Order: sequence, then structure tokens, then C-alpha cells
Amino acid sequence: MSTRRVERRPAAAVTITVLFFAWLYLPIAAVVLFSFNSVKSLSTFEGFSTRWYSDFFHDSTLITSLSASLLIASVAAVASLVLGTMLALGLDRVRSRSGRAVGAVTLMPLVTPEIVTGVAALLFFTGLSMKLSLVTVMLAEITFSIAYVTVIVRGRLAAMDPQVEEAARDLGCTPFQALRKVTLPTLVPALLGAGLLVFALVFDDFVLAFFTTGVDPQPLPVRIYSSIRFGVSPAINAVGTLMLAFSALLIVAALLLPRLFHRRSSSLDLITGGERR
Amino acid sequence: MATDQAVRPGAQPEARPPRRRSGQRTRLWGTLLALPTAWIVGFFVASMVIVVLLSFGRTQADGKPVFGRTTANYEALWNDVYLQLFLRSLGYAVATTLICALIAYPVAYAIALYGGRYKNVLIAAIVVPFFASYLIRMYAWSALLSDEGIVNSAIKGTDLGDGVQFLNTPYAVIGGLVYGYIVFMILPVYASLERMDVSLIEAGKDLYHGPLRTFLAVTLPATRAGLFGGMLLVFLPALGDFVSAQLLGGPSTYMIGNLIQQQFLEGQNWPLGSAMTVSMMVALTLLMIFYLRGTSTRARELQ
Repeated sequence: MSTRRVERRPAAAVTITVLFFAWLYLPIAAVVLFSFNSVKSLSTFEGFSTRWYSDFFHDSTLITSLSASLLIASVAAVASLVLGTMLALGLDRVRSRSGRAVGAVTLMPLVTPEIVTGVAALLFFTGLSMKLSLVTVMLAEITFSIAYVTVIVRGRLAAMDPQVEEAARDLGCTPFQALRKVTLPTLVPALLGAGLLVFALVFDDFVLAFFTTGVDPQPLPVRIYSSIRFGVSPAINAVGTLMLAFSALLIVAALLLPRLFHRRSSSLDLITGGERR
Repeated sequence: MATDQAVRPGAQPEARPPRRRSGQRTRLWGTLLALPTAWIVGFFVASMVIVVLLSFGRTQADGKPVFGRTTANYEALWNDVYLQLFLRSLGYAVATTLICALIAYPVAYAIALYGGRYKNVLIAAIVVPFFASYLIRMYAWSALLSDEGIVNSAIKGTDLGDGVQFLNTPYAVIGGLVYGYIVFMILPVYASLERMDVSLIEAGKDLYHGPLRTFLAVTLPATRAGLFGGMLLVFLPALGDFVSAQLLGGPSTYMIGNLIQQQFLEGQNWPLGSAMTVSMMVALTLLMIFYLRGTSTRARELQ
């Protein structure tokens, strides 16, 4: 069936795809290129230099922001992984009406524009007289990330054979033992992938952090945003390149992880949930 | 719990165990559900309620927001300036959604049907930059299009003119939104094309003669769900966005997100900002209901 289909490729679709990739990567390539520029210009490349990078590593405010962002992302990834997995397991098994209602409510953060979540979190913390700090950013990011983990883990659970857990129960496991010894180990690749993805998303997240952060220390994206508003500069290009490279690495790792465990699985299972049973 | 099972003398072994098990289980799954649900209700739902409550509040003379029962904030929103800004945001978001569909469909189509063994690599090449820093990607555009950026210096270099002012135009803002959210359109369309039976296209070609008619009669209806889903996933964040208009636009291209952000972090009129947020959510919810109704009836008619 495929030989005839491939006889004539739709030239228009292929052209648009090529142009799309060029459009996608051109601005990113420009940022990376000019981060190595020896002069301040953003349009002419005078020579290779790493001065903007060494500026970054000698800027203590930026380094503090970087470690704040790493801390926020780690805490959010671990906490949302625990809560999101519990939620996914519960939703997968509780098929009652109330279970579905809970499912709908818990997915709300995914379809709510981020600015609304940000505003709501700001009012919530202020209402409780909590001082805005890294802790408030963490709490907001955890709440936001639970839904991501839940979607990924539920996709994986849907592809799992329920009989394996049944078998464990027949062999005398309690429900909790079956969960701990059979189901959770099967979920490990999906959990690692989801953790990495959430880490990358939270590390880069600007909007929620912007609304919930205190003054000092600020997460890296918030710090970058305030310097962008004063104009573009090669120093921002260097920070941006580092951030892009770091996140890209994390996401590639998240996509490739399932392959380490199952050689035949596709790298996109993390996003598409793998094949359904 | 072996002891549990031992204390069942005389029970019918076929009937009892499943029921016992499901009882034990439901308790376990219910326990698992409880904590995350409490977390989301405690933070997310409660914070949404506060926004709604504060939208009926007012700002005290000392600048502090207090709860109240006034509709003054909503009345203040009902004027030409705000309505125009809201319609502008709506227009930008609709334009973004349509442009995304026009670009994403051919890209997903080419990759799903002609990507061969590079399919996954190509999709990953799209996904990776999209999930890596939205802010930096918006910055990348503003650097490229700025008056002293590469594009303008190229134009000046070729004596075509004194350069073009890209920033502060609606095109730049919409372009930024498309660049920011198009992945949410590509992924669902790609997934639905992947699931589609390609022999349908074959059959369509025999039946309808011509690729365009085949596309309209076979491929498009088969991937409708992915396309409609993608449109929703692009429209929602695009309408609430404020980074694109902040970095690529200016006051003349501000969107509702910029206005909300100003009320909370610059203007310090929180009750008014809350009313804006609630209005936006109500508008979004209404649009979503109409949209989902419309798309599901159309899908039903086609069956």
C-alpha cells in the first residue's frame, strides 16, 4: 500500500515543513551565535569570544538566581511526581462519577491560562499573609505541575496490562504490595521521564514565577525578563543559550528514557502516552 | 492479608473474594486520591474563589485591597477602552489559532505520511525547542527584529531602505504568539494523522480523483478531532499571553494579559485586575462551551 502512496509527495506540504524548521531554528541560532560575539553588536559578528559567559559566571546575582531556579525545579519535580502519581493511580481505578469529577477538577490547571493561575496564586498567598519568596513559587509550581505528571502517568497506566496486578493479588499480595512491587516498578520509566519534563518546564517557567516570587532571590527567568525589558544585550544571549541548552538536554533525556527500558518503545511515548491497550 | 482470607469458612469462593478485594482496593485508591485532590482544591480552587471574591471588592485609601460587595469593578470595565482592548486580544488569539492551523497541518501531514523512519526525530526536533524556555524564544525574536538586529541591518546593508520597524506592530505580536504555541497544534494533528488508516487516502484517490478532493473528503474529516483539539490548545494560552505583546509589541498592541499584569504588579488595583481576570475566564468558558458544542454536533452529523 505504501509504494503507490509515496509516488508523488505533496510539494507544498514539504516546502512548508522545510520553511517551518528554518523559521523555528533561525532566531535560536542567532541567539547562540551572538552569545559568542566579541563585541556588543547584535548584527555583525566580529570574532569569537566567551566574555559574555565569563561575565555570567562572575555575576553573583545571576548565580543566586540560577541556584534558586534549580532548587525550585527540584522540589517541584519531586513533590508533583509523588502527588501526580497518586492522583493518576486513583483516577485510573476509581471509575465512579465522583472519580470523574475529581479528574475534571484536577485537570483544570492545564486548561487555565497561566496568567490566571499566577494572579490567583498571588492573591491566595497574600490573603494568607504569606510573604512572597521561593517557597510561594515552589507551592504554585507544584500545583501547576501535578496535572502534567498525572496526564503522563495515566497514559502509561492505560497501556499497562491489568492482569499483571491481578496475578500479584492471586499470589497473596495486598493491594498496596501489588502496587509497590508490581505496578510502580513498571511505571519507573514514565516517572523518570515525567520528572525530567516537569523539572525542565518549571526551571524555565516565567509567568507563575513572575507573579509569586519575592524580591530576593528571584528565579532566573524572572531576572532575565527584567533585564530584557531594558533592551537586548549579548549578556542575555549567553544566559539564554545556557538555559536553552540545559532545558534541551533535559527534554531530550526525558524523551529518550523510555528507550533505555524498552528497546522497541518510541521516544514520543512520553507525550503520546504510548499505544493503548 | 492472609488472615483475612482464612476466616471465611463456608463462604462461596467464587462470589466472595472479588467483592472483598474490590472493597479493600477502593479504600486504597480512595486514599491515594485524597491527598492530591485536597492539594489542588486547597490551592488551585481556593485561589480561584479568592479572585472571584476580590473582583467584588475595592481598594482602600491606603492602597490595600479589601473584599466587598460592589460591582463597581465590572462597571469600570464596561467602557470603550477596555472593550476595544478585549476585542483586540480576541482578534490576535483567533488570528494566531488560524495561522497555527494553516502551518501546523501541512507540517504534521508531511512528517506523519512522508517522514519514514525520521518521523520521531523530526517531531522531537520540534518538541525540544518548544519546551525549552518560552521566554528566551520570545527574546530571540525581539533580538532578531529589533532596529539594530540582523534583519534590519541586512535591509540597510542592501540599500533597500532605512530598515523596517517590525517591533510594536500587531504582526510581530501575532507572529510571536504563533511561534510560542504552534507546537500545541502540531502534536494533536500529528497524532490523529498517525492513527489514521492511510489506505483510506488510497481509496479516496480512486474514488474522488485528485488530491484536493481526497484531502477535503477523506483526510480532513478523519483528523478533525486532532485539529479542533489543537485549535483549543493554542487559543487558550494565546488569549491570556502577555509576554509576546510586552517584548515584541508596545502599548498600541497590548493584550488583556498585559492589562491584568499591570493591575497586579504595576498599577496595584487588585480588585479591578480580579474583575478583568474573572471576565476573561467567563468569556473563555463561554467560547469553549460554544466551540465544543459546535464541533461535537458537526462530528455527529458526519457519522
